This record gives sequence, C-alpha cells and structure tokens, in this order.
Amino acid sequence: MSRSITLGQYLPGESLIHRLNPRFKILALLIILVLLFSLQTFGGLAVLLFFALLVFAVAKVPYRFLLQGLRPVFFIALFALVIYFFFTSGGVVLLRIGFVTVESEGVREGIFIVARLVILVMFSLLVTLTTTPLSLTHGMGFFLKPLSYVGMPTEEVAMIMAVALRFIPTLMEESQRLMRAQVARGADFETGSIFKKAKSLVPLIVPLFVSAFRRADELALAMEARGYMIGARRTRLHEDIITARDWIALTFVMVLLVIALTFGI
Amino acid sequence: MFIGTEKLTHTYMSGTPYAKEALRNITFSFEKGDFALIIGPSGSGKSTLIQHLNGLLRPSSGRVFFDHEAIGSDKHKLLQIRRRIGLVFQMPEEQFFSETVFDEIAFAPRNLGLEERLVRNRVNDALHKVDLDAGTFAGRHPFQLSAGQKRLVAIAAVLSLEPEVLILDEPTAGLDSAGRRTLFNLLTNLNRNERLTVIISTHHLDEVAALAGPVLVLKDGRLVMNGLAADIFIRRSELDELGLALPPVTEIMHNLFEAGLPVNMAVYSLTGAKEEIMKLKRRRD
Repeated sequence: MSRSITLGQYLPGESLIHRLNPRFKILALLIILVLLFSLQTFGGLAVLLFFALLVFAVAKVPYRFLLQGLRPVFFIALFALVIYFFFTSGGVVLLRIGFVTVESEGVREGIFIVARLVILVMFSLLVTLTTTPLSLTHGMGFFLKPLSYVGMPTEEVAMIMAVALRFIPTLMEESQRLMRAQVARGADFETGSIFKKAKSLVPLIVPLFVSAFRRADELALAMEARGYMIGARRTRLHEDIITARDWIALTFVMVLLVIALTFGI
Repeated sequence: MFIGTEKLTHTYMSGTPYAKEALRNITFSFEKGDFALIIGPSGSGKSTLIQHLNGLLRPSSGRVFFDHEAIGSDKHKLLQIRRRIGLVFQMPEEQFFSETVFDEIAFAPRNLGLEERLVRNRVNDALHKVDLDAGTFAGRHPFQLSAGQKRLVAIAAVLSLEPEVLILDEPTAGLDSAGRRTLFNLLTNLNRNERLTVIISTHHLDEVAALAGPVLVLKDGRLVMNGLAADIFIRRSELDELGLALPPVTEIMHNLFEAGLPVNMAVYSLTGAKEEIMKLKRRRD
C-alpha cells in the first residue's frame, strides 16, 4: 500500500558514497547536471552511464532499488520518445505510416534525451539513497545561506524542512495504524465509486489531523523547553566534517566537466 | 481450536535492509469463552500478534485459525471474520472522528449496512454494556469526555459490531487506577455474562495477575511461556528476567515463602495476603 511511496528512501550503509559529505554530494550532483546538459555525443553519455553504474556498485545499492526509482520516469521517457520519433524531422525517413513519418534525426534525438533523463535520475537517486534526509536538508540549508542576506530566514526554513522530513515516516505509520483500526470497525477504503471512496477517507483524515496538530503542539513546547529560539544561532551535534575524500570526489567530477567542455564530447 | 495460530512468523518490510522479524514460530490456541492474556515487555510483538488474529496483518509464514478454520485471503470471508472478532487498538480514542458519541459508536453497525433503527439499538446496547448512560452520553462530543470515558466509548464502538471475540491491545494504557479497575470489572463481566471471549495484551502484571485464564508470554517475538495464569504467575524469577514485575503483594508472598514460611504465593490482593498471614499466625500460636 503505502510501502510503494519511497519518501525518504534512504538505504542505510557504510560505503564510501554514504560517507561523503552531503554538501559535496549536492554540489557534485549539480556539476553532473551541468555536465549532462553540455554533453553532445552518445559516447559521452555512455561514459557517464558507466560511471553512474560504477558508483551504484561502490555504494552497494542493490540494482532493485535503482529499477524501483526509475519506474516513475518510465512514462515520461516513453512520452518523450513518441514525441521525438514522430514530430522531429530531418535525416532519412525510416518509417511511414500514412501521413506520419519517423525520421532518423528524431530517433537520434529522442534516444539522446531519454538517456540524459535516465542518467540524471540515476545520479539523483544515488544522492537520496545514500544520504539521510536530515543531512540532506542540512546540506541544502548550507546552500540557502546566502539568501539570508536578502532577509530570508534560512535557518528556520532548514528547520522546517528537517521537521517535515522527520515526521513523514511517523505520519505514514500512524495513517496505516488508523486505517487498520477503522478496517477493524468495518470501514471499507477500497471499493465503491470515487465519491464514496473520498467520503470513506473522513474516518482517516480527521484523526490524522487531530494527532498532527497535537504532535506539532508538543514538539513546539519540547523545542522551546530546550531553548530553541527563532533567530538564535545554533550549533550542531554532528559536525559537518570535510575530508580529503570529499575534495577528491568533487575534483574528479569537475575534471569530467572540464574535459567534456574543452573537447566538446 | 477456537482461535489461535500455528507456526506463525511475521517479518515487517521483508526484502529490504529494514526487514525486521516481529514474530517467530508462534503456536497457541484459546477456547471459546476464555479470558486470555498476552503479556510481554513493549516491543515483544504483542500488537503484531493481535493484528493477525482478525486478519489485519497477513502471516509471512504459518497460519492463523478462527472457529476451526484457517484465515485465508478471501475478502468476503475476511470481512465476516472482522465482524466476529472485534479489535480495540492501543489508545483507541485516537481514532475518533465523529461529532457525537452516538455517531462514533454507530460507525461500525452502519458499515455493516444495518437500518438506522437497528443501528440505534446497537448503539444503545453497546453503551449499556460499557455502563454509560445513553441519555447522558449519546449526544456529547467525544472530545468532551474524560480519559476513562473516552476509552469506554472506544470499546463500545467495537462492541457495536456484536463480536464473539473482543481483543484489546493494552486497554489500560494511560488510564488512572480507578479507570483501570472499572475497565477490568467491565471486561470480566462481559466475559462472564455475555459469554464473550476476551483477549487482552498488557505489560502490567499487577492488574491481570488475579485472572485465571490462559496466558501467553512473548519476548522478542518468541513465545516463551504458554499456560494457565496460575502456573505462569508462580514463575517469578523468569518473569523478572523479562522485566515483568508481579504485583507488590505477590512479591512479598514470594519473599516470605523463600524465607521458609509455608504461605501460598498465588495471592494477588491485600485481603488475600492478610488471610494467608493470619493463617500462618494461627498455626504458630
């Protein structure tokens, strides 16, 4: 049921990739993004695809999770392929069905775009699979920092994100428990028209809201009791250590980008 | 075998690194009319076991029985089973969503598709069974009630299914001692007078030690003891190791016995203890 929703899909591990600094991972992801969009040849994409698979192997993420993560992209990819195949002209006509033609340029571009998309998703998956949601938000908070000069409360935004992420699994668990509890009272969430289904969600949503508000209230009190204050400077329990490994990884990705740009691969 | 399991094993999130075996190889059975206990420290698998008994969770391996039949995956049959086995979750008042106590209790019978007239009868019966006056309580908002009253309404909301078996997961959690006593008196009466099979999970022995039915003791998902209350509550040191403390009175009787005094250790109330000690004193004199 809700097990298919992979929010906070972190897979615990001890690999080299897991231990990289989250800020560096985010930065490396951005560079790879730029690299992906500056690549012009299939050869370049193939190298990057190979690199992605290599990193997956190093991170010891089972390929099952890779396929699972790619599933949502499948339809977008299919859609893009169809559009490119039939609506891009140029090159040799490969296929003619009545008025529509499939031309070689369209096939080439379609496959190129889809490959790009798949590789992009693969690298993003790598980051989310090997980084805890919490350190991911801390990492993002770091990049938001410059915005505090134009008056954005970046510390608070990062805190809101961290709290929201923290409570997703809790709320999921709670909604499952509630669902079972109401099923035990004869509720039926599965059959009936859309209207009936929507109505059957009331016994689920009302208690969920009640408990979410109660939780929020308790959390606010607990945070205040521990001295949390908006605007105050906070220190962190887990220091954000940057090691040589992080610099090596980042430099490596940078070198890839420079090579691709200078040689026009 | 009225209700029970055979080699039941349950693994949460199997096939992922988060996989956790919650129950392992559990076999037991309770009979019709029993007042049964499932005890164990928190995290021992009590809630998981309970949710198997009316088919809310499916076993990873093994089988669950009800009324001499294995619980299958047939939807229609599962629905029938859930009508016959009422399950009250932990902190059941957190499920409330209606604006009146009446609607809250009527949820289950309405789901059964009963006529409104019959629904009203069921609600009144259920309120009567938990000793709440229908005239006073039916129209109230559930959130206006006291903790103890909320719990009773939550139980009534399951009793309105008119189940043959009532299972309660930690029914006394968060109640004060008066609330706990009311609840236990009520459950014993339902068991005795309405011939309702009652199954309770708990980790507080002092409130259930005086009961006489079958008892299961769970630890880390395994069944470590299975027997009648009288035979289990005598095993103090083993229970102690599981972090399950007997009532203070019983502890004292055990200590007296170990000090060499011929007293009955299966004493769960002050009055009983007093009698035992007086008996001892008379014998001395």
